[in-house]
Amino acid sequence: MGEKSLKRELGLLHATMMGIGGAICAGVFVTLGYAATLAGTALIIAMILCGIINLFTMLSYAELGAAIPSAGGEYTFAKASFGGFLSFATGWFEWISNMFYASFSSIGFAYLISYVIPTVNIPLIAIIIVAIFTIINIKGVKETGLTQTALVIMLLGILGVFIFWGFFNGQNAGSLGLKAPEGFLGVLRASAFIFVVYLGGEAIAVAQAEIKDPGKTIPRAILLSCFALILIYTTIALVVFKTVPAESLAGKVSPLAYVAEQFMGPIGVVIITVAGIIAALSSVNTSIMASSRVAYALARDGYFPKGFFTLHARFRTPIIATLVGSVLIAAFAATGIVNFVTYATDFGFIIGFVFVNLSLIKLRRDKPNLHRPFKVPLYPLTPILGIVTSLLLIFFLEPSTLLIGLELFIFGLTAYYIKMVGHYRVCLAMGGMNLGISAFSALFAFLIMSNLLPISLSQDTSLLLFCVAILVSITYLIAGLLNVTRKHE
Amino acid sequence: MAKARRVALRIVGGLQCGLGGLASVFAYLVYTSPLIRDTLVIASEEVPLYMFLFLVLGMFSILSGFLLVHEKDSGN
Repeated sequence: MGEKSLKRELGLLHATMMGIGGAICAGVFVTLGYAATLAGTALIIAMILCGIINLFTMLSYAELGAAIPSAGGEYTFAKASFGGFLSFATGWFEWISNMFYASFSSIGFAYLISYVIPTVNIPLIAIIIVAIFTIINIKGVKETGLTQTALVIMLLGILGVFIFWGFFNGQNAGSLGLKAPEGFLGVLRASAFIFVVYLGGEAIAVAQAEIKDPGKTIPRAILLSCFALILIYTTIALVVFKTVPAESLAGKVSPLAYVAEQFMGPIGVVIITVAGIIAALSSVNTSIMASSRVAYALARDGYFPKGFFTLHARFRTPIIATLVGSVLIAAFAATGIVNFVTYATDFGFIIGFVFVNLSLIKLRRDKPNLHRPFKVPLYPLTPILGIVTSLLLIFFLEPSTLLIGLELFIFGLTAYYIKMVGHYRVCLAMGGMNLGISAFSALFAFLIMSNLLPISLSQDTSLLLFCVAILVSITYLIAGLLNVTRKHE
Repeated sequence: MAKARRVALRIVGGLQCGLGGLASVFAYLVYTSPLIRDTLVIASEEVPLYMFLFLVLGMFSILSGFLLVHEKDSGN
């Protein structure tokens, strides 16, 4: 194994398919029902609105990707424009969110398989699929691209059959007249909910070091995949509302399968389930590739251990970054906690969007003479709209998303701190925190003993909690003292 | 004295790693097990907060434990 450069083997077709395949995940097969209850038939507008919001930021990706075509995507852009902690935080969120996205997609795949074979073990299936795509990703970016292209072409074929059959032979029990039961606010809420179906397309930028003729190919692939996604999602929504009334989608586990059943019969359910499986597979493939490239770039700049910067001698793929990422993806997938993984994914991707737009503005100001094969139109309005709309989306998501985001930020900050400051200072900081936790645990034990806790617990539970609090308090007190009395090397 | 410190580092570091692992597993159990939530009177809307606290505590403990054990390994 050596440290050679990544191979530029992806052409326009592979790159575009990577963008489309990264975005079309199982989400589109399951989110339409709830979104239709929020926006009614005006969900068609929400689909277009989301596509436009996505386009604002994708234009920034296109400009930056063409100007700085090295591995790492958002992280590389933030590194070139800001450097320091901000670039690390961008890379950290990108790495984590791609891993969560791969876990989410592999769990989604396993659930879809369980519809066909109800006895399967969901975590086991998720882990097996992660293992298969890890091997493909290690084998080479060309293999990854070919697999992705094949999957996306199959997926587009199935969705094409659904759309054409629905338009020309489907029933007309629904209505294409735009009606929003909750008004424009409902359309906005539906937009925040379904925006996830557009996430993942930026995988093109992450793989930019492996794209041929990046100055031309990256902007073209990004814009092509953006417009293709708007077209696909909008026509799917049109077929859905032409076929059935919006109200009938409420509570449906797989609304798209339900609609397909209306005009194709039982075979429609099978076809849409197969499409969902392919979509999940292509998302797993793309996000394993994306997470490994970000870890590779972070290691290149000294933020991650050097081992992550190692390329396979024969395949020239980041083998350690891929393997470590895949182990973590499999571990997340094994937990099967889909909601947590979904929120973490959303938060990470949307924060990435904000940083990309900020990077574009900063670079335009600091490096006006940088060679830019593609330029964002209507600058600075477009990136500013990208930032504002991305931030708005975060506040329309579940409140727990913010909490999970904060959690990921704390983990990232700790990793950065440990890597960038001296060992002695880290030990001192740890010592202080240990002493703080010890004091807090002692207080907690006192409150339990005095029955001053604002909740009523059984006697057994109180005794157990008291013992745990005392154990934690003593352990952390000693740990704190050991840390702060450490000799300066 | 140095020997006593080495022993303390090993025991406390290991204990902290163990407690960190337990805290992480507990965060998972709080999320998945209604029994645990009922026993500790945790409302469903408070689950993300508890998960947050236990995961941060778990990560911190594992890290602190590793640093202590590592100090022993480097011969200090």
